[in-house]
Amino acid sequence: MTYMAGDQSNHNPIPEKVVKLMVDDVFRKNNVKPEEVKNNISNEQRQMLKEMVEDLKKQVEQFNNGDKNTNKTSE
Amino acid sequence: MSHMTETKWRALDYCKNNINDQNNADTTQDADQAVSNQQISDEWIIIKDSENIDVTTTDRQAAVSLQLGIEAAIAAVISIAIGGSASQGISQDINQMIGTRQGNRQKTIVEQSSDIQITTTDTDIAVNIQLLFQVLATIVASLDIL
Repeated sequence: MTYMAGDQSNHNPIPEKVVKLMVDDVFRKNNVKPEEVKNNISNEQRQMLKEMVEDLKKQVEQFNNGDKNTNKTSE
Repeated sequence: MSHMTETKWRALDYCKNNINDQNNADTTQDADQAVSNQQISDEWIIIKDSENIDVTTTDRQAAVSLQLGIEAAIAAVISIAIGGSASQGISQDINQMIGTRQGNRQKTIVEQSSDIQITTTDTDIAVNIQLLFQVLATIVASLDIL
């Protein structure tokens, strides 16, 4: 017998476009222009940030794919 | 007093030699509180008078540290790209955006049972992690980092 609680799906909780809209809105409200701001980042920083995001992406996938704890009991 | 025709089945009645190494479960989890965003998430799994119960739950420690990792990454990206006083306002706005998740409580009770497999997912923290990463990916994409 297997009992499942909760939704196992890996779908994005909020559509991508909505998140983009919200993030763009935050930038606009704070007078940040992504096209200008991206020049503030050096190539070295860009590379580090890229690696950081890719690393986190892997961790999120791993988490979603059920990297879980199993406990056994006989009591 | 009425006649007791049947006695209650009790798992422990049959557990004479059952003290083995598998008995390492800490199945009643304390009320956990996720560090960020007033998010409260309680998970209770109560197992009573039962035997051979397999429990699979979300690894909360991994979940919370992953959540913190993504939050730190968002802060780092904003601070590096924008810097100065503007980055504070942006961080605040972003926090507001991701800080409105509701708490989730689930209770699972198993009583007088044997050979049961339980899998629970803390949907709340899973959704939160997914959303946080989505926000990070979007910020990074609009800054042309990826």
